[in-house]
Amino acid sequence: MKVRAKLVQARPDVGRRAKRRWRKVGQRILLYLAVLLVVAYVMAPYLWMVSGSFKTTLEIQAADVTKPELEPRWIPRTFTLDNYKNVNKTVRMLDYFRNSIIISLGTMVLSIVVSISAAYALSRFDFKGKNTLALGVASTQMFPGIAFLIPYFILFSLANRYLGLRLINTYHGMIFTYTTFAIPFCILMLRNFLDSVPREIDEQARIDGCSHLGALFRVIIPLSTPGIVAVGIYSFIMAWNEVLFASILTGRATKTVAIGLLEYITAQQARWSGMMAACILVSIPVLILFTFMQKQIVEGLVSGATKG
Amino acid sequence: MRKIGSKPRKKTMVFWFILPAVLCMLLVHVIPILWGIYISFLELDLYTITRWTQAPFVWLENYRQIFTSKVAVGERFLRSIYTVLIYGLVTIPIGYLLGLLVALLLNREFLGRTLVRGLILLPYITPDSVAYNVWRFIFQARIGIVNKYLLGLGLIQEPLIWLVGDRALYAVIIASIWKGWPFACLILLAGLQGIDPQLYEAARIDGATGWQQFLHITFPLLKPVSKTLLMLNLIWNFHAFNQFYILLGADPGRAHVPSTFILQEAFKNLHYGLGSAMAVVLMIVILILTAVSFRLRRGSSYEG
Repeated sequence: MKVRAKLVQARPDVGRRAKRRWRKVGQRILLYLAVLLVVAYVMAPYLWMVSGSFKTTLEIQAADVTKPELEPRWIPRTFTLDNYKNVNKTVRMLDYFRNSIIISLGTMVLSIVVSISAAYALSRFDFKGKNTLALGVASTQMFPGIAFLIPYFILFSLANRYLGLRLINTYHGMIFTYTTFAIPFCILMLRNFLDSVPREIDEQARIDGCSHLGALFRVIIPLSTPGIVAVGIYSFIMAWNEVLFASILTGRATKTVAIGLLEYITAQQARWSGMMAACILVSIPVLILFTFMQKQIVEGLVSGATKG
Repeated sequence: MRKIGSKPRKKTMVFWFILPAVLCMLLVHVIPILWGIYISFLELDLYTITRWTQAPFVWLENYRQIFTSKVAVGERFLRSIYTVLIYGLVTIPIGYLLGLLVALLLNREFLGRTLVRGLILLPYITPDSVAYNVWRFIFQARIGIVNKYLLGLGLIQEPLIWLVGDRALYAVIIASIWKGWPFACLILLAGLQGIDPQLYEAARIDGATGWQQFLHITFPLLKPVSKTLLMLNLIWNFHAFNQFYILLGADPGRAHVPSTFILQEAFKNLHYGLGSAMAVVLMIVILILTAVSFRLRRGSSYEG
């Protein structure tokens, strides 16, 4: 039976061929529908955010899901740019932007410096305790931030009391904190990158009379620029997005955007439209940096996960 | 000549290269963790913190409290662990399945594939503070779109309160699935692309259906990546903080997870000792999980 069915199928038959073509078209349509569904699922909250940022405060406050005429809508009833113009009016968003930029840039620079030197040592030298160190670096990522926060807070208070060193609610305190949380991942990522730069190249430079430091600066760093940029962007984004430490260790002078966003909603008033506008502004730097370095960061993540 | 001279120098070189990282790690990871363990044995609160050196050493009193469900703190801490377990039990499998389905979809050829692949990464790269604040807006009872559509479909008669009370956990779960699945998808897609297409060809010649191909080729070959993904998600699950803190506020009530509860207990109620003890318990739970999953992974690599 089966053989016969196959033979029948194999015979050039216009009707069957058309049927098969239709089935293929149907499959294509299904495929595109599925893709469309996924895209809609991903994009819906963003569309809601964008539409909310162009609505008037009045429209959002008056909205009511139970009344059809006041139902929240995707298209703003009255389109306004006020939320962007007044972004600094009720919440000091511009100050928070400045704080976030300073802290994130500082974290970026510091973690690049620290992780280059550590990654270079891990990649190019053999020394006692190397594997322990690499394992230690990797394992710090598994502890939750909250486990560090209480001792941090107390250490910072003590540093202030006994050494006169202010760390809570300062830029350098936050930069230091974030750097140390960014470097484990940075070191591992950069080490992978440096391992892919052939050793012969820096050995050649050493033979030509470069010191270790010279070889590092003249040969290794120029060759691993993409890796360094990726690591820098990773640390920048990490510091930009962090919530837990910022909620305790920053205050009026250093509050970052991630925490500042929460100020739009208070017990007295909910300024959703202003918050949505601020949300868009906060996402922009991250989106730009990510698209800029998407390939490297994604590769780093994927290789980290697949190599385990 | 040079070789002999360079050996001790090389050692000191390594030392200087590695020193900043080691210092950072010591200062920021090792010392605070040891310090935190020490604090967890103290009765450190608002009154004793000003003279913390004289804070009474109470041995395991803090631990006794957090494991006694008769004490309010103990009961709430145990519930927060239960909550984070339920949260993980729902978000991890759904996020994985969603990621796998979309990865299979994106592994096919279609127009605009590169664009879609970039788009689906959006939730993953959007800052937590932004994403969860938007979801908070979406879940608002009177002005949110969730209730709008539920009412429109006739599934509910009056707007639901999502972010307070029993439904709060569902809201967080829905939002974090949306935020979390692209990571799974990204990793699984990379795994799919590493599979030799000839395997499928051979299977097709042997007459295997699509489902059989998935069951006998795709799924087994994705196993190592899936295990890593599962392990990472298990560990991260216990870190859960941002989604609860941003969506539900500083006090999520019954929907507390360990991180939010410790934060509240330590920095609002100013019971630093108690908070540290809970943090230590949380770390031990994560350590055990990691050890178990490492064991599982090693066990499986012998099979394969």
